[in-house]
Amino acid sequence: MSQETKQSAEQDAILRTAIDRSLRHPVMFFFTSGAAWLAVSLLLGIIATAKMVSPEFMDGCAWFTQGRVFAAHISTLVYGWGCQAAFGVLIWLIARLTRQENRASGIILAAGHAWNFLIAVGTVAILGGYGTGVPWMEFPTMIWPALLMAYALIAIWTMIQFRVRTTGEVFVSQWFAVGALVWFPWIVATAFVLVFCVGGNPLMSAGVAAWFRSGITYLFFLPTAAAAAYYLAPKISGRPVHSYSLSLIGFWVLAVVGPWTGMQKLTGAPIPFFLPYMGAAAAVLIGIPTIAIAVSTLRTMASEPGKFASSPALRFTATGVVCMLVLGISSSFSNLPNSTLPLTQFSITQYGMDILAIYGCFSFVMFGAIYFIVPRITRREWLSKRFIKMHFLFSMYGVIAVAVLSVLGGMLHGQGQENFKFTWDSAVASAYPYQMATLIAWCFVLFSNVFFFAHLLLMWMRLGRRSSHPTLLGHAHLDSPHGPEGDIDNAGPGSVIAH
Amino acid sequence: MSSSSNPNPNSRPDLDDTINVTTTHNSESMTAAAARENRNPGSNKEPLSIATFAVCAVIFIVAGSVIGNASGGFFSYNTNIKPEYVRGKAPGVADDVALPPKPILDVYVKKGQSLYSAKCNGCHGADGKGDGVNYPSLVGSAWSTGHTERFSQVILNGLQGPTSTGKVYGAGVMPAQGGGMSAQDLAFIMTFIRNSFGNSVGDVVTPEMAQAAIDIAAKRSNPAAPVTAEELKEHEKDLPGEKMDPATLVDPITFQAVQAKK
Repeated sequence: MSQETKQSAEQDAILRTAIDRSLRHPVMFFFTSGAAWLAVSLLLGIIATAKMVSPEFMDGCAWFTQGRVFAAHISTLVYGWGCQAAFGVLIWLIARLTRQENRASGIILAAGHAWNFLIAVGTVAILGGYGTGVPWMEFPTMIWPALLMAYALIAIWTMIQFRVRTTGEVFVSQWFAVGALVWFPWIVATAFVLVFCVGGNPLMSAGVAAWFRSGITYLFFLPTAAAAAYYLAPKISGRPVHSYSLSLIGFWVLAVVGPWTGMQKLTGAPIPFFLPYMGAAAAVLIGIPTIAIAVSTLRTMASEPGKFASSPALRFTATGVVCMLVLGISSSFSNLPNSTLPLTQFSITQYGMDILAIYGCFSFVMFGAIYFIVPRITRREWLSKRFIKMHFLFSMYGVIAVAVLSVLGGMLHGQGQENFKFTWDSAVASAYPYQMATLIAWCFVLFSNVFFFAHLLLMWMRLGRRSSHPTLLGHAHLDSPHGPEGDIDNAGPGSVIAH
Repeated sequence: MSSSSNPNPNSRPDLDDTINVTTTHNSESMTAAAARENRNPGSNKEPLSIATFAVCAVIFIVAGSVIGNASGGFFSYNTNIKPEYVRGKAPGVADDVALPPKPILDVYVKKGQSLYSAKCNGCHGADGKGDGVNYPSLVGSAWSTGHTERFSQVILNGLQGPTSTGKVYGAGVMPAQGGGMSAQDLAFIMTFIRNSFGNSVGDVVTPEMAQAAIDIAAKRSNPAAPVTAEELKEHEKDLPGEKMDPATLVDPITFQAVQAKK
């Protein structure tokens, strides 16, 4: 029996290696260019926040006015970093889970280059003053169909892989991954057509834009993070997913509720009244899928506390999942039409929630996935656990600070706005200290990502450690008989305990 | 790998770039990372815990109350409008915030343009040139740019028969436009036509003059009939009223003359 197990384990390892090999170029390209866009976005974010604190900062330069810099910051964060990290993880995940090599990596890589080119053109256009002014859809109109085409070339092979899978049961992770892959083009195409092609009432365009923003968050970033977390948690801990039924509830509630969110941002606007109310109810219900996803992945991880302490991938993923839980619960509490919604509707809370969703929840899980995937596709181990720790700590403190400060500051901001007997200035002034602190927190996040980007770049240049020992955060392998660096693959594959 | 000097890479003192660990150790088809991975252990069928269920139930009830609170008001626009909502003013801002004043001619022409597009566009066209067959041109027309009283009576009462050029157009009759038109509106329209499409009389028809025109039209012997070229001969004069300098600065909302801020 043991002979048989060993053989099938070896076949598995060979298949995994082949899959990783088939996707190494596009996945590594998505991660590295995504990380570069993240750095660009953080710089722009710091400039935008600095201008909120001191409006005179760089006021002589039209290219860096608040409206343009902030738009460029969010666009690069969402499409430069977020989408690319998601593409890299999703195509790799589906290939692994359907146990098939990807045969179109050249086309995916080319489409990835096209995507980057379009993002670059779009960002320069925004800074040059040619943005559309529609939140999260700031790129000039003609960029969007091209982005969708690039997306089709990236994602279609993965959908085909899923369609022709020979594996029987569809694993939890795949539900979310395929969901994200299908929802993304639906949301983008719908919003594009309704906002830019059909000349309807501009008020309705604002509603569609709010829906789009929510849709990208809850139907693309959140399920992508869930897919990665549902893959990494059992994979690294070696324990099965805590509860199948809970995961099923999480997926279907998200699928049903997600598309309804967003319109609550237009409460009080003269649009059909049920839209904001349904939006508010759906935003409250978002708490349920996040609880379901978080409980089942966190309990899976918690069943192996040792792994949790040592594995960078698991540590990042767990933090991301906790952020997801916080995001869901705060979505439940901050969207009540007659109490909290007026405080969050037009205040800086919105930004805090966006950052919590994109950086806190989504990006942390993506970092976890990247720390897991990159050693496999580059055949090198991460160089420095200190770099990973720096990335983790500064990112975590930074994002907690940005989210908490924006949410709390936003509540005060909103209260000032509601108090209409007072001047608008006083509402803005009450948020000022929080803006200041957000600026400092962004600097932390940028600092942490210098380590991440440098580390990833070194891995991309194939300068990683050559060892059969993974880079772990604990001191587990310091007393290894082979020394701190581990044996140099001498014992052969499969000889080292799983991480 | 292609180093001919030393065929056995394992005998090198240390690893360098010419040695690939995986090929050296004959495991090209398998990486250590992939080999040490766990198999995907699948999912457990653990039942839903009471605590999770309770929290989800609370969220469900809250969401239900959101919908419930909107009952009866799903298509109402009133619930979100705060009574007496007037934002407090920033310090240093005067009580009655006024828009910057503009020359009266510009303000009247702009207002007149929107009235023209509502009332006159259909026949005389957006460029004021009519179509040359059914509808006459207003551009350079002797009646449009000539005496204001004659022009005002055409607008207020309509016109039958030949126009200023003596030509009878296909439409034959222009319907009266005076119904429901205030003196202010008439002043806007007349000022607009006299100073647009290439017409540049440069004067302003004041509301006072326009009121006089409305009074004249009311006193006509047959107020229901359109005027004719014959009748218009009686009106070959300008409307009574004090002339205004077209450069006078007025408030663009109230149309009252204001002093320019120094």
